[in-house]
Amino acid sequence: MNVFQKNVAMLRCQDPALASQVLDATGGTLSIQAAKSGVPTAVVNNRSIHSAYDPLREAEQWAAHQANDCQAGEALVVLGVGLWYHVEALLGKVSQDSIVMIVVPCLSEFVDGLAVRSLDGWGERVKWVWGDPEHMATQVLQQGHRVRLLTYEPALSLHLELYDAFRFQLREQLSKRVSGALNIMVVGPIYGGSLPIAGYVVRALESLGHCVSWVDHSLHYPGYHHLGTIRDDRLRLTVQQRFSDTLGVISLAHVAEDPPDIVLAMSQAPLSMAVLEQMRRKKVLTAMWFVENFRHMTYWQQMIGGYDFWFVMQQAACLEAFKNAGASHVSYLPLAADPTIHQSVKLTEQERAELEADVSFLGAGYRNRREMLPALLGHEWTFKLWGNEWDNAGTLGKVLQRNGARIDTSTSVKIFNGTKVNVNLHSYTGEGFDPDGDSVNPRTFELASCGAFQVIDHRTLLPDLFDDTMMGVVKTPEELVPAIRKYLHEPEQRQVMAEASQQRVVMCHTYAHRMQTLLSTMGLACPDRIGAILQGERQAESLLARSRGCPELAPLLKSFPKTDRVELVDMARTIRLKGPEAQLKREELLILMMDEYRQEKRDFL
Amino acid sequence: MPRSLLIQLARLGDLIQSLPAISSLHSSLPDQPFDLLCAAPLTPIGKLFSGIQGVYPWEGERWHDLATMDGGHKERLVIAAEQYIADCAFPQYSVAYNLNNHPRSIVASHLLSKRVVGAGDQGPLRLSRPPWVTYLRQMASDRGSNRIHLADAFCGVCGVNPPAVVPTIQATHVDLPTDLAHMVNEGSWDRIGIVLGAGDGDRRVPLVAWRQFIEACIDRLPNGLCVLIGGPGEREAALALEDQLPPSYLSRLFNCVGRTSLPQLAHVFNRCQWVVGSDTGPLHVGVACGARAIGWYFSRARVHETGPYGVGHYVWQCRRSADPERLDVPSVKSVTQLPCSWPVMETLQLMQDQHGSENPTEWELWKSHRDEWGMFYMNGEQPDAAVLQRKNIWERLSAPSANQYSDFSPHSLIAGCSS
Repeated sequence: MNVFQKNVAMLRCQDPALASQVLDATGGTLSIQAAKSGVPTAVVNNRSIHSAYDPLREAEQWAAHQANDCQAGEALVVLGVGLWYHVEALLGKVSQDSIVMIVVPCLSEFVDGLAVRSLDGWGERVKWVWGDPEHMATQVLQQGHRVRLLTYEPALSLHLELYDAFRFQLREQLSKRVSGALNIMVVGPIYGGSLPIAGYVVRALESLGHCVSWVDHSLHYPGYHHLGTIRDDRLRLTVQQRFSDTLGVISLAHVAEDPPDIVLAMSQAPLSMAVLEQMRRKKVLTAMWFVENFRHMTYWQQMIGGYDFWFVMQQAACLEAFKNAGASHVSYLPLAADPTIHQSVKLTEQERAELEADVSFLGAGYRNRREMLPALLGHEWTFKLWGNEWDNAGTLGKVLQRNGARIDTSTSVKIFNGTKVNVNLHSYTGEGFDPDGDSVNPRTFELASCGAFQVIDHRTLLPDLFDDTMMGVVKTPEELVPAIRKYLHEPEQRQVMAEASQQRVVMCHTYAHRMQTLLSTMGLACPDRIGAILQGERQAESLLARSRGCPELAPLLKSFPKTDRVELVDMARTIRLKGPEAQLKREELLILMMDEYRQEKRDFL
Repeated sequence: MPRSLLIQLARLGDLIQSLPAISSLHSSLPDQPFDLLCAAPLTPIGKLFSGIQGVYPWEGERWHDLATMDGGHKERLVIAAEQYIADCAFPQYSVAYNLNNHPRSIVASHLLSKRVVGAGDQGPLRLSRPPWVTYLRQMASDRGSNRIHLADAFCGVCGVNPPAVVPTIQATHVDLPTDLAHMVNEGSWDRIGIVLGAGDGDRRVPLVAWRQFIEACIDRLPNGLCVLIGGPGEREAALALEDQLPPSYLSRLFNCVGRTSLPQLAHVFNRCQWVVGSDTGPLHVGVACGARAIGWYFSRARVHETGPYGVGHYVWQCRRSADPERLDVPSVKSVTQLPCSWPVMETLQLMQDQHGSENPTEWELWKSHRDEWGMFYMNGEQPDAAVLQRKNIWERLSAPSANQYSDFSPHSLIAGCSS
């Protein structure tokens, strides 16, 4: 029997279906060559998958680096196959009770490996994960262990799309299995568009059962706003910066008092690099949901190294720019709606009189809107313009409502509900539609969530979120008026489309969905710090099951409800509640001692 | 032979002030081996204490790391903590004398010994404290006209009287940098240690005051050599001070700031005739090493509890650090405001045994004395009522009936406290 046949024989015992598929597959993906050290190495399109000199030594280094983070009992999922030198080396460095799984994205590559590298002596310790991405994710999670992804980049880059799809599936399935509650601190901005989103995020996280504290800096807005009375530009900017820095220190004080598992900052949150670095020193994970256009708001470049995780509402170019700038983790996370706020409502007679219209636009007076919206005047329909920053509105002045006052959320919802065709034009400081327009604004989700019909300008990321059976999509400014006219005459069609968009929001685009995605992304990247908590490993029941090494803790852990998250502070509190006469066990004294040091705050600020 | 452990986890000053308690314990139990548990950075100074056999470091950083480790495996935390204690290789203790009222010390004492004397003696969760600990706590929070020195109160906590002889520490041989060795060993200078450091900023003597003092010392003491003392945090201040002094003075100024370990510092102090400053920690080290001290106490430091221990020391207590009429009532303002003037020439006169009858407006001079009830400071020739009351306090706090905690109130013993 040659190496291939021996390998297939071993596979047949482990996974007969895979062995059968292997026999039907043909190789040829990897070009096998001899490395300088004499062992086989692999090349694809002139790119080495393993070292051309010494693949074994290279694999040892990779494995040593990866094994630093791995913990006993985890499911270690290796992305990147090649000739699996790295997997073999990994097995020699991790605990025997770790489960090592290798995701096989391509049978051809696998066959090439089976032909030249023996599985003998280690192959029986690994599980091969194969099939479509959804199935592979299910196989991994069926193990019931904490999942840690380990990437071997040279081989991973051969099948990027498939691995991305696998990660997406894994994240989605994990997000539905969450049983543990995190302590999350949401840090909002002083003012601006991300302020209401911070509120929605807080509600969503609470609805998912997490313990949330909101550091709401909008309380300080009056003071910040008053600084605008300083006439000298440099003085004003300096003072505003110091004001903002102070709010950052206030955030840090909140973190010191109750250290959260995650600090989630919204765009414009006043957290300076110094504050973020201090949080990192104190082992607090930080994430930023950057709900801005990265091309227009560029402050992320200065902050990129400050946050552990970045979530952005744009894809491709944005993700690449953030990675190139040094972001360690950056993920796409589009905006959403909150169906408990953005919902269908009935208007009173008085509200109808003021808020109803055939056609409405609600938003700020950006240049492209000022140029396109006059085309909506003078038609057979009524048109109302809502929102602020419409100074010198010109012909639009006669349709501008409430003298251009800022419209609050509940009124917005009523306007959306009271309008037959809501016009949703994304802001742009140039003419017409933004040629780079990719991200989808919050109004799109909010209108849909209200069950309101909208005509929207085309965005490259829109089709992934809503299709054209859910809203009228125009690709040029010239299509806007005909589209409005068309839909005004098709009330039933409007209703069908609006309801479809509303269902889509409820199914996929609520802030709760976004937070599930955000947390499972962080959980996958930090399996021991976040993933473990999300999977309930800090719950009393789970801690009890794992307390065999220290059975003296069992009675204490049993005193908690099974599904309660139990931390050092909770155990210490329970011990102290035993009362002054209590005779404490040694383990209880050790917990009290550690709790004393846990409370130490002296070097936090 | 069962061993005893003395636990002192507080700062340098408190550790040095524990010397009298160690000395008295050793005298009353001469065959008993004593070990010391102190903050890890202070172990080198603990090793200089006579009467102590083993010094064990308490590593707060290590405990903090344990406490903030990933908490997914609580049993691992406990096992790691137990391992840390095992690594320290503590012997079995028959009794732990705990001098700190902090929960950490109380828990540590119960982890290391079955029997505890001092704070936490009734159990780690009991809120009641023995009379001496209650008295100390009351003294710290309410002040009052107390005259029991902290070091003597530590003796009371341990159940012993103040020592018959003031204990000292003698530096063992340490290697010193050449210039430092030369300064310490050569010449017949009158070395004056000047403690620049003070921990917090509000306890720091301004450099201008030190400059005036150094200039006065060098001008008027023909044999005087000023030695600047402090930690790495005071290095810049020391350099700035050197910059401010005329070059002709620099030959009689020696800058040790940030250059000495604790044993080296003790070695330097062993050769100083005087030590002057506001930071009580180094002042106590200087005094324990044989120097006479003159303290400038103006912030939270109070002569009666933390004045240098022994006979022949002085403390200038700033009147503004307390009510001008009564040292018993501190004002909030006093903690944050520096005095307007500094007792520069008056200190120099004391060193020359030429103290005049007039004190500077903001300062009051106290001189140390000692009797069977320990240390006390007086600002006149005759002891006041509070000094005379110490015997009564000792008898009441040390009486067996005082150990029935339930009806014990220290208020009656500290005049000036509102109960």
